[in-house]
Amino acid sequence: MDIVSSLGSGFGVALQPYNLGLAVIGCFLGTVIGALPGIGPVNGIAILIPLAFSLKLTPIESMILLTSVYYGTMFGGRISSILLNIPGDAPAVMTCLDGYPMALKGRAADALAISAISSFVGGTLATIGLTICAPLLASAAIYFGPPEYFALFVLAVVAVGGVGTGNPAKTLIAGILGLVLSTVGIDPASGVPRFTFDSFELYDGIDFVVAAIGLFAISEFLMFLTDREGGQGKRLPVGQIRSSFRDLIFPAATLRSSALGFVIGVLPGAGATMASFLGYTLEKKLSDKDGTFGKGDPRGVAAPEAADNAAAGGNLVPMLTLGIPGSGATAIMLGMLVTLNIQPGPLLFERQPELIWGLVAALYVSNFILLVMNIPLVGVFARLLTIPTRYLMPFVVVVSYVGVYSISNSPFDLLLMTLFGILGFVMRKMGFSMIPLVLGMLLGGPMEQNLRRAMQASGGDWAILVQSPLSVGLHVVSIAMIAAAVTFELRGRRRARAAAAP
Amino acid sequence: MSDRIVGAGLILLAAWYGWAAGEYEAPFADPLGPAAFPQLLAPVVAGLGLWLVFRPDPEPDWTGGRVLVLQAVSVGLMLAYALLIVPAGYLLCTTILAAALAALLGARPLPAAASGAAVSVGTYVLFTWGLELSLPGGTLFAGS
Repeated sequence: MDIVSSLGSGFGVALQPYNLGLAVIGCFLGTVIGALPGIGPVNGIAILIPLAFSLKLTPIESMILLTSVYYGTMFGGRISSILLNIPGDAPAVMTCLDGYPMALKGRAADALAISAISSFVGGTLATIGLTICAPLLASAAIYFGPPEYFALFVLAVVAVGGVGTGNPAKTLIAGILGLVLSTVGIDPASGVPRFTFDSFELYDGIDFVVAAIGLFAISEFLMFLTDREGGQGKRLPVGQIRSSFRDLIFPAATLRSSALGFVIGVLPGAGATMASFLGYTLEKKLSDKDGTFGKGDPRGVAAPEAADNAAAGGNLVPMLTLGIPGSGATAIMLGMLVTLNIQPGPLLFERQPELIWGLVAALYVSNFILLVMNIPLVGVFARLLTIPTRYLMPFVVVVSYVGVYSISNSPFDLLLMTLFGILGFVMRKMGFSMIPLVLGMLLGGPMEQNLRRAMQASGGDWAILVQSPLSVGLHVVSIAMIAAAVTFELRGRRRARAAAAP
Repeated sequence: MSDRIVGAGLILLAAWYGWAAGEYEAPFADPLGPAAFPQLLAPVVAGLGLWLVFRPDPEPDWTGGRVLVLQAVSVGLMLAYALLIVPAGYLLCTTILAAALAALLGARPLPAAASGAAVSVGTYVLFTWGLELSLPGGTLFAGS
């Protein structure tokens, strides 16, 4: 078996003491980031990227650190859902529904243990799925030339951003604006500086890390000012686990939700939040015979947690194999890889198998670390929840600034980051999704280069873009996704108007 | 209304973007020079801007008043931080920024100042000793 031997050598990489140490640190930080309301997976990972650069980590080391943070946030989100009834991050919303009622009944420790176990199962099954699916998808690499890559990037930017999340025109605008921003700087093909306003700070283009931290972390602070009345909830005590181990596992609910979560994660445009929502809904439909869901049913805790951890693993499949991330957190990780001069995609499997397989092995390891870390240390994480947000949020802002300054030493980047913070705030308020913007900034460069390479090959004949069945297929998918989003939106409007009329 | 303003802004942006791109020329024969990709994007941006002008979403809930002032002050602080970090030094700027932001979020003056100093010194120690990065010491005051 090819996969088994590759994975074996991957474990050789992942289990080196330094990498193992990074995974432990990443898991810890990730759980903390996930648990604290106000820092979600996306801005948590974004502010840690400068740390990875400062430590001069190699690509594989940075990826181990960031993916264990990523898996960790999925574990951490549930803690504040259960103890505070405030989701630590977006996917943990569904865990509040049954987790908090369990805690009210004094079964907080049980709820935490159940969710830790189902998170572990979901994460591990998704990693197995990734191990099997990724090489299959990557073997499609030989069919990809410049026109196909161009079509793939169009699909990623135009259609992936968010299906069914608000106004499709705004999603498209965000994606295209990202592409516009990606053209700032010296054009790599001709050496012509573009849209730089003769400012040499912009010659290198807009640094992706600066934009991402501004858009997510700084705007979070500005958002927080608008609804800070929510304030601190009252934390319930953790207590002791009362049930036996057998009563803490719900195999049917966990397996169903894991499978569902993984599939949703692999599909572009749908992330962990949708997975946990659908996982909960499915479980409720199938097993809520006595109306106990929403009143502290443990299956209502197991299902969404398995689904969101599985989706996190599933999200890595398109990111690693095709270079198109399906979620904000994977987009940020892709950005870091690109900054380190690694372009994920089909070729990565052939050129740097040790990176891919080391990473995959590290995912198994971090899932295990997270399970081991989360059961005994849950009290420690719970205590962190008592840090008042009015001290926590300024700390996040400061770390964002120091992080960016430490990699660029440029006050200009700090100004730019603040401007992106304002942009992010306005976009959020007006219902623009920020993920397409980030994707556009990331993929705009390779998209333009592949377009130009294709045109060079054809001598300027645009027909080359639609000459292979694969590229036609990809374009058709893009158009279909836009059309679906538009009809969905129009129908929604018509219904809203019908409801408004008497 | 907000959507219409943004839509109009996008149309103007697209016009400038497409026009500015026209100036760029490759120094050698290239079927698709540096101008082409931006010129492809510009009409798309303009079209989507038009869409927003004619089909705006319901007005978002802009919180005005006190919150707006708080936001303006915090953005002002952040911009000042970016401009002053090199001349005034990391420790001073960061203490003030973290303390002021905490105060804006409702912390009392003394705990806010204490948390600002703690965050500033803590991150300074972490970054300069732990990660061996140099943060600006400040040139505004003699000696440092």
